[in-house]
Parts: sequence; structure tokens; C-alpha cells
Amino acid sequence: MKLKKLMACILAVSMAAGMTGVSGVSAEEEKTLTIATNFSYDSIDPHEGNSSWYNGVYGLTENLFKIADDTSIQPCLAESGVMEGNIWTITLKDGIKFSNGNPVTPEMVIRNLQRSAEINAKANFINDFKFDVVDDHTIKIDCGDEYPTLLNTLASPGYAIADLDATTDFTKELVATGPFVIENFEPGNVVSVSKNENYWDGEVKMDHVDFYYMQDDDTKLMAMQNGEIDAYTGVTAAAKEIYEADPDTYNVVTLPAKRLQFYILNENRLSEKLREAINLTVDANAMEEYLGGTVTATVGPFSSTVQYGQVTKPAVDTEKAKALIEEEGYTLNGDGYYEKDGTVLSLNIAYYASRSLDTLATLMQEQLKNIGVQASLTCEEDPDATYMSTGDFDIALYCSIADMTGDPEYFLSGLVNGFYTIGGFQDEECSSLLESLRHEADVNKRAEISNQIVQRLIDQNAYGFIALFNKITVLKKGVTGYAETSPFDFYGIDADTTIE
Amino acid sequence: MFVKQLLLQVRKDKMKKYILKRVLQLIPILLGLSILTFLLLYISPGDPAQKKLVSMEAMITDELLEQMREEMGLNRPFWQQYADWFVGILHGDFGTCYRDGLPVADKLFRALKNTAILGGTSMLLAMLLAIPFGIYSAVHQNKIIDYLIRFISFVGNSIPSFLLAVLLMYFFCVKLKLFPVVAKKNGLKEMVLPAIALAVPVISRFTRQVRAEVLDQMGRDYVHGLRSRGVKERYILYRNVLRSVLVSIVTLAGLSLGSMMAGSVVIETIFGWQGIGKLVMDSITARDYPVVQGFVLIFGTIYVMVNLITDLSYHFLDPRIKKEN
Repeated sequence: MKLKKLMACILAVSMAAGMTGVSGVSAEEEKTLTIATNFSYDSIDPHEGNSSWYNGVYGLTENLFKIADDTSIQPCLAESGVMEGNIWTITLKDGIKFSNGNPVTPEMVIRNLQRSAEINAKANFINDFKFDVVDDHTIKIDCGDEYPTLLNTLASPGYAIADLDATTDFTKELVATGPFVIENFEPGNVVSVSKNENYWDGEVKMDHVDFYYMQDDDTKLMAMQNGEIDAYTGVTAAAKEIYEADPDTYNVVTLPAKRLQFYILNENRLSEKLREAINLTVDANAMEEYLGGTVTATVGPFSSTVQYGQVTKPAVDTEKAKALIEEEGYTLNGDGYYEKDGTVLSLNIAYYASRSLDTLATLMQEQLKNIGVQASLTCEEDPDATYMSTGDFDIALYCSIADMTGDPEYFLSGLVNGFYTIGGFQDEECSSLLESLRHEADVNKRAEISNQIVQRLIDQNAYGFIALFNKITVLKKGVTGYAETSPFDFYGIDADTTIE
Repeated sequence: MFVKQLLLQVRKDKMKKYILKRVLQLIPILLGLSILTFLLLYISPGDPAQKKLVSMEAMITDELLEQMREEMGLNRPFWQQYADWFVGILHGDFGTCYRDGLPVADKLFRALKNTAILGGTSMLLAMLLAIPFGIYSAVHQNKIIDYLIRFISFVGNSIPSFLLAVLLMYFFCVKLKLFPVVAKKNGLKEMVLPAIALAVPVISRFTRQVRAEVLDQMGRDYVHGLRSRGVKERYILYRNVLRSVLVSIVTLAGLSLGSMMAGSVVIETIFGWQGIGKLVMDSITARDYPVVQGFVLIFGTIYVMVNLITDLSYHFLDPRIKKEN
């Protein structure tokens, strides 16, 4: 009897022990990542101006096309896009579906684009488009005029495709096609996403990712050192040095991104020779060195790694710069500054204290001083309301994303006859080239035209292009797939993101 | 007895009238504040429509700017914009944020709750530490402990808050691993270090103030009189001197609470605490008028109410004020 009881107990314990291995994936096997972000918006609306930028980082949404690391346009939800005159024919891929299992239909795609036009001022040009559903995979879009860069536009933030019928509150719930779905959204604190079990494009490797809003650089550094976060972008020069000193623990990836530091030379105040002298003096390489690896000196507004970034500029030549100033009738006075008719040559450098422009302004002042040109600094809290509106500057420092869509036209239009011409730049040839760019569909020819425009801007000393901010990403060893090789800020986790 | 009850009732009625009067004063104060703030924002350089377009990385054209201004209602005259906003306030509608179109009230009250928790905790910590330290320092004047407390309060008052915050985080989170760096929620554990960072300058100021007040009171005639009658030192300190000191402490606390409640941008940024300081700083930079206006309205009310509570507390703390009333 006692033996029977003992046997029964042993059997019961064995069965209980066996049951713990049957319940499914244990907590240890769940793959989780924690990532720090330096941005936070109160909405995950895929079409709203600001928040739409980051839905791709969270892995929630996808567009019809995507921009590859080399800035070429690649298929995503759409298989292809073909332009014939004013009309684009977009063909969707087979089997694409939302996270709730609903298929992505042409009608839903059209509704998404129209919603984007409705709520995002930047997209209101879509209101002029005419859409036509050809079959259950094909859409024709009549743009009204030639629009060679439509696919680039559709690949950029604000044009993601969501299930508009299933999503009830766009600010905190979203049903879309991305490899992840929203699990918890606390504005200003944490965005938690989990694997989309219905992902249309294969297996999603991560189970769960948390994005914590951490704006302070020291906090992110300490959190990384403490092992509380696994990755983040926007690493400072000081933190980069610390991480690079420990390659067994951290992997640091640095590449030139798309945010450009540049200056506008005021043609209404500065002669051609003075402008040339300034451009021959400003040493972008020295600035790059000073900024400790957070920027990469650039010749033009676009990285030299892309087809439309193939331009040249003269090397720094302070002797030639001095000669040009002297040709203008200036002579050096006893204080070591150039003057003419008793008036010292003094330039006003206007800037705002953001994106290291304050540092650049000081360095620029120093470099000009070294050749005998006095420079005063004017710091404005809001450049758009002050010197960028009034034109009250000799040299205006500014920072902007030069390449948001893998195509140069958008930024070039600002330089040639748009927002940045506050310095008085006007050139018929550039305007003509820009017009031909607007209608050119061939990617290679577009790059060629773009290079011609930028070369003219450099040759005419209208602007000075200093540096492109580097996208510096730090990842814990074993973490990959946080878009560390993409120069664009609006990509983040995807189906291949993983942690070993 | 009847007369006593009658006098009590009269005093209660007077108190109610006083409180009502102070509350009613809120109306012209808030009206004036809101008009002034609206006007200052309106005339300051910076176009909210342009700022929004820049933040969206949109290429600004005159047409787009005009369209955005129309969408945001910025093409209306100043008085109409203000009137619409004011009517909305009367209906409890603080408007929508220019940047993302979300209700201002939700953003402000969510942030306010977090700031109130942090600010309140810091103030409590400050009072619990500053008063005993100040008293101890005064009672042991010119002894080593007095010098030590004064030195520490001097350092605490001098150290920049961002440096203190980073040092606290480094020692307690990274080195000692007692607290997490990442504030995963606005909970108790996450609140300890930011509360300390916010409280240290206040503790330092209060400690020195309490010490000075206690020393001043200890030199008064009534204290000498109590001592000469054989009253114990501890009794003199806690039953007489402290009550006199409390009036100035309450005044200081009232003034400090307001600034604490307005939030510390630096502390909130470093610790990731979702408070109101950072929200308002970002809104001012973005020229997000509705958020700034809502903030001014809420904090105007808070400041007035805090001042009222401070004034009322004198009535109970100081018998001389009670007698005058």
C-alpha cells in the first residue's frame, strides 16, 4: 500500500514536470529589444505631418515603395510603377495584407493617398490627381502633368498604407501592413510593438520591441552602459568614443546621412569676388574634424556616394582668397583686418543655436579672421522669422534635410528659385535646368542635370555646402537590423531585426 | 455663550467672504494674463504656420504657407482669434495643439499630473529635511555640525541642476544599480532621483532660511523670559520658536511650490519625466499658442490658489494675525 502511494506521488510529480515543457514558448525564448528614441509625438497617425515620419521606425507601416540604402527606389507593397506621360501605372504585389488579415486592395490604397492629401498640407497636390482602379492589383494615377518622382514621393513619410476601416483611432491605434503592431502607446514615454502574426512578407524575427523616449544624450549613454537599452541613433561624439573603445560590447555604425549644414551668401551685399574669397577660406574638413565625427564634410548638398552628388569645388586656398579681396581694393590695416576707404571689411554671420551651427559660426569667424576679414555673429532664436525672411545677413547658416526621397529635385528647387534664394540668387541657366529636371524620368539623366545645377551653384558662389550630419547608430553586440546602414531617419526595425 | 457663538459665526462668515473675494479676484487676473500672453505671442517674431511646415520638412511656398495659416485660423484678426479661444475656454475647450491637432487639455492635464506628483514629492522632501537640518544647525551654532550643514547647503544651492541630475543618475543607476536609468513608467522608483534632484536646491535654501529664523527667534526677549522661568529648551524650541519660524517657511514654500509646479525642463529631460516644463518649452519654441495659453491659464489659477492657501495658513499659524482678523 505504501509502495503504491509512493509510486502514485512519483508519477504525479513526473507528469507535472513534463507539463511545464508543453505550454509553448517560454519567456526566455521571447526575443525582446529596447531602443531609445530622441523624438516623441502624441500620435501614430500614418498620414499626419510629423508622426508619420516615425511609424516606419516603429515597424508599423509600409509604403508602396521604399528607398534603399543606395537611395534607389525599391518595390515594397507595390511591385512596380511605370510612367507614361502624365499617367503612372502602379501594380500591387500578390498576397499583401494588413495585420488583421484583410487584403490590401487598390481602393484602399487610393483612399490612403487621398487621406494623406486631406490631413497633410505637404501632400495636398494629390487632390489634383485622378485615380482609376484597373483590376484588383493595378491602379492608374493621372497626375495632370509629368511627375517623374512620384515613386520617390510615395516612398517618403506620410504616404503609408493603413486599413482605414479597421483603424478607429489613428492617434493611438493603427492597423497597417508593417511587421509589427502597436501593443502600447504612451505619448512621451514608451511605444511598445509586438510581432505582426499576419505579416505578409515572411517571418518576423523579433517578438517584442519597446521604444523609450530619452532626449538627453548622457541618459542614453548611461542606459546603454547599464544594459537597459540595446540600440539608439544620434550618438554624440563623446559617446561614440566610449563605445568604440569597447568593440566587444558595442557595434557603432557611422554613415553620412541627409541633413545638410550650409550657408547662403548674400549677393545683394557681397560681390562675386568676395563670395569666392569666402568659399576659398571656409575649411569644411577642419570643421568636420572639430565636430568629432558627427558630420562628414561635403562638396555639394548631397553625399558623394550617390549619383547626383558628383560635383567638385576648389580646395581651400587662403592666398587666393586674400588676392581676390585685394583686387576689390581692400588693404590690410594695422590691426590685421582688411579695410577700404577707412571702413573695415566686416561680415555678419547669422545663425541659430541648433544642429552645431553655433560651433560652425564660431569656426567660420575664426577662419575668416585668419585671412584678415572681420566677422560678427548674430544668433537668432527663430531663423525663419528673422534673417531667412528679411535677408539681413552677409552669410546665413542653415540646416535642412537635403534629400528626403532619394531624389534631388525637392531641395534644388529651394536653392534655385525657392526658400533659400533669400540671398538674391538668380540664374536663368539653373532655372532652365531645373525645369528640364522636373520633366525628366530617366534616373541617370536626372542625376546628370542635378550635378550640372549644383556645379553652377558652386561655381557662382551662391552657397557654401559644409557638411552632412552622420547617422551614428550604436547597437549592443548581436543586435542587427535597426536600419543602421540606411542614411534615412524614417526607417528603423523591420522583419529582419534580431538579437543573438 | 450666545455671544461667543455669534462671534464665532461672524468670524466664519468673514472667512468665507475673504475666500470668496480672493477667488473672484481670479477672474480679472486670468483675463489680464491671457490677453497679455496672447498679445505677446502674437507680436513676437515667428509664424506658427511656417514653423509647422518646417518641422514637417516641407518646402515652404507662399501658397502652402497661406493654406496652412488658413487651416490654423491664423489669418483672422488678433481680437477674433482671442475671442474664439476665450469662448472655447468658457465651454471647457482649450483648443487643439497646432503641431498635431490633438486636444490641448489632454496634453496639459496629463503633463500637469506628472509634474504635480514630482513637485509635490520634492516639496515634501524639502520640508522634511530642511526644517530639522535648519533647527539643528541653529541650535549647534558655530560647531562642526553647523559648519558642515552650512557647507552642504551652500554646495546644494550652487550646483547646477543638470549636473546634479547626471551625477545622481551615474552613481545610483550605473554604479550602484539601485534605480533604473530608463523611466519605464512614472512610478515611485522612477520618481526618487528626479525628486531628489529637484529638492536639493530647495532644501539648501530652506535650511539656511530656517537656521537664520531660528537664530533670530532664539535671541528674542520672550525666549529669554521662558528660559529664566525654567522652561525646557526643547519645549521653547518646538512649542514657541518653531511656530514663529513656520510663517516664513510657509511663505517660502508657497513661492517655491509655484516654480516647482511649473516644472523643471532640465530634470524632466534628463530623467524622461513627462512633465509640463518640457511640454511648454517645446510649445513656446514651436509658437504653439493654444498650449502656451492653456498653460498660462492653468498656472495662473494655481499660483493664485497657492497664494490664497498660504495667506489662510497665516491665520492659523500666527495668533497675532488671527487676532487682527
